[in-house]
Amino acid sequence: MKTTVTAALLATLSASAAFAQDLPQAGSDWFTDAQKVIQEKIAAQPNTKKAKNVILFVADGNGVGTNYAVRLFDGQSKGMLGSENVLPYETYPYTALIKTYNINAQTPDSAPTAGSMNTGVKQIFNTINLSEAGVNKDCASEEGNKLTTFSEIVTGMGKSVGIVSTARITHATPAAVYAKTADRNWEGEAPEGCTDIAQQLFDAMSAGTVDLAFGGGSRYFAPKDVETMDGGKGRRIDGRNLIEEAQAAGAQYAYDTASFNALKLDGSTPVLGLFEDSHMKYEYDRTDNDEPSLTDLTKAAIEQLSQNGDGFYLEVEAGRVDHANHAGNAYRTLTDGQEFARAVALADELTDDEDTLIIVTADHEHAIAFNGYCGRGSNILGLCMGIKAGQVENSGEPLLGADGKPYTVIGYLNGAGSVMTEQADGDYFGTRPNIDEDAATDPEYLQQALIPMSSETHSGEDVVSFAKGPWAHLLTGTLEQNVIFHVMHQAVTAE
Amino acid sequence: MDRRAFLGASLAIGFAPPALAQDEGVVRMRDLYNKNLSFSDYAKSMEGSRVSVQGYMAPPLKADSSFFVLTKRPMAVCPFCETEAEWPDDILAVYTKRTLKTVPFNIRIVTSGQLALGAYTDPELGFVSRVRLVDAIYERG
Repeated sequence: MKTTVTAALLATLSASAAFAQDLPQAGSDWFTDAQKVIQEKIAAQPNTKKAKNVILFVADGNGVGTNYAVRLFDGQSKGMLGSENVLPYETYPYTALIKTYNINAQTPDSAPTAGSMNTGVKQIFNTINLSEAGVNKDCASEEGNKLTTFSEIVTGMGKSVGIVSTARITHATPAAVYAKTADRNWEGEAPEGCTDIAQQLFDAMSAGTVDLAFGGGSRYFAPKDVETMDGGKGRRIDGRNLIEEAQAAGAQYAYDTASFNALKLDGSTPVLGLFEDSHMKYEYDRTDNDEPSLTDLTKAAIEQLSQNGDGFYLEVEAGRVDHANHAGNAYRTLTDGQEFARAVALADELTDDEDTLIIVTADHEHAIAFNGYCGRGSNILGLCMGIKAGQVENSGEPLLGADGKPYTVIGYLNGAGSVMTEQADGDYFGTRPNIDEDAATDPEYLQQALIPMSSETHSGEDVVSFAKGPWAHLLTGTLEQNVIFHVMHQAVTAE
Repeated sequence: MDRRAFLGASLAIGFAPPALAQDEGVVRMRDLYNKNLSFSDYAKSMEGSRVSVQGYMAPPLKADSSFFVLTKRPMAVCPFCETEAEWPDDILAVYTKRTLKTVPFNIRIVTSGQLALGAYTDPELGFVSRVRLVDAIYERG
């Protein structure tokens, strides 16, 4: 009976124009802000125009949990308590949960996940852009199993293609734009009969299916032991210098901030930028004098690619959110995640929602987890502070485990930060080290983890896609990762 | 106070060890290197003197050796980040006074030794280092 009465009351209230005024909570900012959101959603209209441009942003390893941490870190770095912060892409009108597993892996890796977004089908663990008949490390299995990529499709439509990554440009996520390989590790060398990934990029730039590539990884483009302009050394055993060959073929080449700033971005030549011999630096370790930021690279890529009146496809990867998670170092995970958010915001500013589909997502999540019950404003990198009655902000007193020691907000299930350490007899035994706020928020700190491993692992947990622009409204619900390709394809082919 | 400001201040008091170290006199790897991997003023001022540096012992290259690599964070070996084991660019080569007893890679140690700067290739291991601690001792810290 009570249920019926309540339902009837609610129906009356919601039908009434005086709805808001009748409720005691109606004056609350929470209430009025939420009402505003509802009005915006009612007014929103799907954009069913043909997309001229598509930008796919991938923060590697930035699943729901990691992204939550980036949100708080970004907010706290702006003086907020953190949870109330909204990252630039979190304002996008359409979001979906994305299932990231690979055909044969419950916990995915970045090669087939990026491949699925670039070809429209799920793929095999550690392979890139091969059909399900592809076999990891089996060169012969490449033949007859190579898939067509989104970059090839849009090149056929007259569009330009660009790739930006803070990882090596031959690393899994950027490679998925242009490469087809039975092993993601064949970055600079492949078995007889197969082509290494660096050469595949060179071939793609020669063929015009990739017009711009910015990242790290010059080592796989230069002959073994030959010094590269970024200060590293080449590793190619075939003696080819693909950088010089690309320049001879008319490409512009940049290797540091000065040469990057000197690039002529008028769309007339291909552009290759390799700023480290391996991965580019973490944002925390980077200086503007040495190499450009992800935001700088994204801005330059859009400037170059938008010279094409037929439009472009650009994939931008924050490749080292993943690496810092693997290291169990939340500090660099979040500083790279924050830089990713800045790059997205700038790309959004430089493009028009009417003709540009922007998708912001991740390839997979990590074994990152969050402790409770922290009060508002607990430093996301630091200790979980208590909740205090009568105030919004935390008590300033760290909460303690049953062992009497404080604990951080973030923890990892496994990795180098394990509290289980190897003893003299080879056995593993652990007790949690005592920590204070200064130690926990230090840039070198590794959050405590459980299972001892030399590298923290990915997890199979979902990631989010945030989308705006033409056909972004198709990216809602809980979707397989390969659906992202189909949304991009629908957007560029819509009549 | 940020690190740069602090280093400026420490300069003024004759290169006292940066106060970032929790224990008196113990510095961190970042106090020896600038972000562009040039040597810090502190490192330059302490060249040839004994310093104590906090870090982690990377798994030794060779058994019964008196050489190890000190890393600023535990040397996580990530199969998806690297195709092979690879050193970070900001490391410290350590030549110990006595034959090495390995400490697990993720247990913090403090290493004390004489600071040597400049490129050096180990004649036996071929390991190239830019900064070293020689005649070093270490303990869990």
